[in-house]
Amino acid sequence: MNTGMNFELNAPASIAEVVEQLANKTGARVFSGGTDLVPNLRRRIGTPPVLVSTDGVAEMKSVDLQGDHLVIGAAMPLAQLLESDKLAGFPALLQAIAEVAGPGLREAATIGGNLCQDTRCLFYNQSHWWRKSNGFCLKLDGDTCHVAPNGEHCFAAYCGDVAPALLVLGAEVRIAAQGKDRWVSLNSIYEDDGRSHLLLKPGELLVSIRIPLKAAQWRSGYLKSRLRKSVDFPLAGVAVALRLDNRGISHLRIAVTGTNSRPLLFEDFSVVPLSITDDLALSAIDREIGQSIKPMRTTNLPGLYRRKMVAVLGRRLIEGLTAPTGKNGV
Amino acid sequence: MNKPLKTNGVGARTPLIDGVEKVRGAAKYTADLAIDGAYVGRILRSPYSHAEIINVDTSRAEALEGVIAVVTGKDSPIPYGIVPIAQNEYPMAQEKVRYRGEPIAAVAAVDAATAEAALELIELTVRELPGYYTARESRAPDAVQIHENKPGNLERDVHNSFGDVEDGFRQSDLVVEDEFHCEEVTHAHMEPHAAIAEYHPERDHLTFHSVTQVPYYVHLMLAQCMQMPQSRIRVIKPFVGGGFGARTETLNFELICGILARAARGRVRMVLTREETFLTHRGRPAADVRLKLGLSKTGKIMAVKAEMDQYGGAYGGYGIVTILYAGALLNALYDIPAVHYDGYRVYTNTPPCGAMRGHGTVDIRHAFDTILNRMARELGLDPLEVRRINLMQTPTETPNGLMVTSYGLPEALDWVEKASGWKERYGKLPKGRGLGIGCSHFVSGAAKPVQWTGQPDAVVNLKLDFDGGITILTGAAEIGQGSSTIVAQVVAEVLGLDYSRLRVIASDSAITPRDMGSYSSRVTYMVGNATLHAAEKLKARLIRAAATALETEPENIECCGETYRVIDSQDKGIPFDKVVQTALIDHGAITERGTFTVPKEFQGGKHRGGAVGSTMGFSYAAQVVEVVVDEDTGEITVEKVWVAHDCGYALNPLSVEGQVQGAIWMGMGQAMMEATRFHKGLPLHANFIDYSFPTMMDSPDIEVFIVESMDPNGPFGAKEASEGGLAGFLPALAEAVSDAIGVEINDMPITPDKVLDALTRKRRQAQRKRVSA
Repeated sequence: MNTGMNFELNAPASIAEVVEQLANKTGARVFSGGTDLVPNLRRRIGTPPVLVSTDGVAEMKSVDLQGDHLVIGAAMPLAQLLESDKLAGFPALLQAIAEVAGPGLREAATIGGNLCQDTRCLFYNQSHWWRKSNGFCLKLDGDTCHVAPNGEHCFAAYCGDVAPALLVLGAEVRIAAQGKDRWVSLNSIYEDDGRSHLLLKPGELLVSIRIPLKAAQWRSGYLKSRLRKSVDFPLAGVAVALRLDNRGISHLRIAVTGTNSRPLLFEDFSVVPLSITDDLALSAIDREIGQSIKPMRTTNLPGLYRRKMVAVLGRRLIEGLTAPTGKNGV
Repeated sequence: MNKPLKTNGVGARTPLIDGVEKVRGAAKYTADLAIDGAYVGRILRSPYSHAEIINVDTSRAEALEGVIAVVTGKDSPIPYGIVPIAQNEYPMAQEKVRYRGEPIAAVAAVDAATAEAALELIELTVRELPGYYTARESRAPDAVQIHENKPGNLERDVHNSFGDVEDGFRQSDLVVEDEFHCEEVTHAHMEPHAAIAEYHPERDHLTFHSVTQVPYYVHLMLAQCMQMPQSRIRVIKPFVGGGFGARTETLNFELICGILARAARGRVRMVLTREETFLTHRGRPAADVRLKLGLSKTGKIMAVKAEMDQYGGAYGGYGIVTILYAGALLNALYDIPAVHYDGYRVYTNTPPCGAMRGHGTVDIRHAFDTILNRMARELGLDPLEVRRINLMQTPTETPNGLMVTSYGLPEALDWVEKASGWKERYGKLPKGRGLGIGCSHFVSGAAKPVQWTGQPDAVVNLKLDFDGGITILTGAAEIGQGSSTIVAQVVAEVLGLDYSRLRVIASDSAITPRDMGSYSSRVTYMVGNATLHAAEKLKARLIRAAATALETEPENIECCGETYRVIDSQDKGIPFDKVVQTALIDHGAITERGTFTVPKEFQGGKHRGGAVGSTMGFSYAAQVVEVVVDEDTGEITVEKVWVAHDCGYALNPLSVEGQVQGAIWMGMGQAMMEATRFHKGLPLHANFIDYSFPTMMDSPDIEVFIVESMDPNGPFGAKEASEGGLAGFLPALAEAVSDAIGVEINDMPITPDKVLDALTRKRRQAQRKRVSA
């Protein structure tokens, strides 16, 4: 092999075995598709001695209707989800999955892996030689942030496409660990800190995702800003879900990715309900989101541009979803 | 054009002869070659932009178990470089490092992990110096010199004037001057760099495989830097996954791999990462261009004055040639009576730049054609018509001594005008949609090679033996561009044979004749001509043999491919195999040698550097680009490109179309998204996620029209097909964006944020105008 990587790769057949290995093998990490993990390992971002694959766990590779939820196994490859007719009621989710990377990567990449992907920064996603030459950074092995050198905060951006779509659909995730198993809201597993944006503890495994079936009553969509029409991570991504009544928008949720260290969910807007032609109210929503997002120079287009795109994409989604034919997204 | 569809020989739309292996995954690239017993080679690279080396302590690395050899600058004291008068680079740094990523030492070890661990054990002691990353920083009066003998950090300044420029501006009705910045771009060839060096200690021989475009230079530089006789070196080029100019120069990792193999007394395999491939670079330098153009009110170009700074990187490399090309090829596209050029090739503490598709011509062509488009509009003229007004009368010699013997630009303009509906649509499309035009050209091989030997520019051998098969032996490096297919087509055409009788062996110094390699689009023209010469000689010999067999004179013999017969006879003739048997009597295996040499009169002007830009045949291209611009997001979508390319004669139209589309694509990358960018000398985008180049999803429909101007000296009239179309894309895109949304953007690439910024500026200007009115 032409790489210096050296690890043990295990592929147990059950959730119990995966969490057992995660708990008992020092430094073990979950491997679920590997399209985010392996490029980082090749750069010596982490040197886990053991990788525990979810690929052999049948229970994590299905899509099922369970009661009033659609349950998606975290190890489902994105390409297979695109082919599943069970996701038809959730256009934002389908659109977001279709926007992830390119076709080849979607074959291997899983939905759980996508939700748990590491935050990204031009000063972090570099080789060991590069980072060492640059004095390392706040996110790994160093004490300076090269994006905001005077601060003590890491601004590495969360760049998953799927999370914002699931957030506006009200998704929950099942977290398993040895002796524990619980459902929590997807929104609760993230934190706005580039160094540790995932609140999962060592030994915990994201097993599956569930979406309430009633979310299908919402109109939803996802749009992404990118330099190229394929491959790229989002410069900014926006998901919107809304419900209409005869006066206008009665319920509204907006989620944003690519700008902060976590995907951000916005709901409970004070201006909702609102008429779809109420430009003042829509501007108030733009402002509220604008105050929370913080796109920095972590990728190849400037933060100001990405900030503008959040507003543009949000407006486009709302316009499209409130149009008479908007039922199935834009 | 409606030509009869050929299936064989020249003019046939034939797939590349080595395409099947590639598509099926059977093709062996350097990294795929058998590696039994090969040590893993790894390079220690400078973490500093600019520093004096005080000490390199390798003792701990050498002591590590599994380490076979460690080499440093002490083992590589001989400089190398592509331009013989400007060799100032060493395989591994000597007393100084000049860019982050420059090789300092290298390790051969039993496996990758050991080699990487050993690199960590090498201790560097340095004294850091200031790093300069732009031409402005390097040229500052108080800047430390990057090279001792290069004051002002200038590799070369060029000052050429042809015709009376100042008078030209005085005679002009409109003079416009503007500044342009084009960011540095790189080739992004699909295959990362790799080499395998096998040293045979018993015989002191070296067998070397690499990804090179010019195996001959690698051979010379290995001999030079390893101080080995050339006769003890064999260089073989396996399948290569792209070059685009990056692999014209011999590269440091190749020399290090050779040096390391000798130190290890065995075989060393060196496969570079994508990041290391970016660090090795040699791409198109960042450039600042200031260009002034004078036009008469009818649109006639009266004079041009251009000044250019190229941020060349830390070593000379091809720099002198690149800065000369930029000035030389201001000429020979349009008729321009007066041209003044000041070029500055500047050293910076970044990876060395070099040759890249459209070598030297692209950024300055963007500036020229963009200003030309805007001035046409200002004069109320059609930009396409302005180009017609400025066509050259050919054949001609330009003021700087370039010979133009075939010129298909008029026909190219006619076609793009018609195909794009230019007259009806330019300037008249709905807001957000626009058309733009650009023209460009390139050489079909540099008329004068950088290494002067007095040998022919190209030699091709044809071997014919008892089996009746013809082996074409050529040093021309097939790097995906189709050179092996072209030579096979030429032989098939001349001898009237099917490809099943032919095989091509390319680029093995032990077997194939020396060739200058695949750069400056020279192969079709020069190697094609040498192949034609060899094939005609072989045909004459076979005709003589057939005459003997048929007991007549050679002039009575007609070659019909698989049979030879007496002209106009009812005789069935004799089969090819019988002709071959006769030819071999008393002689045995036949080798016919064909050569090609560019005559002196094509080698450019007499002024210093006048040979650069000279060629026997220029290709010409005109293109119209149609875009849609989203004013909310700044996103530009290229919907269609119409490009007409004059390649003289299409030996293989399928291949020509592919090459032209590739050039457009590469121009599109530079115009819309590509930029290397550095953080204190560290490449920010040294991977294929962050270094964006167009994907298939971004590719428009590119309609290619082939113009055949039948070059008087090209093989069957052919000229180059792969570089001439690139440069015109940049100004065509800028003009299309302007046509769509009314903003003028000078700097490349035109990313969506720049579009939005330009729109904001435009709105503010309009507001100010309203207020002041």
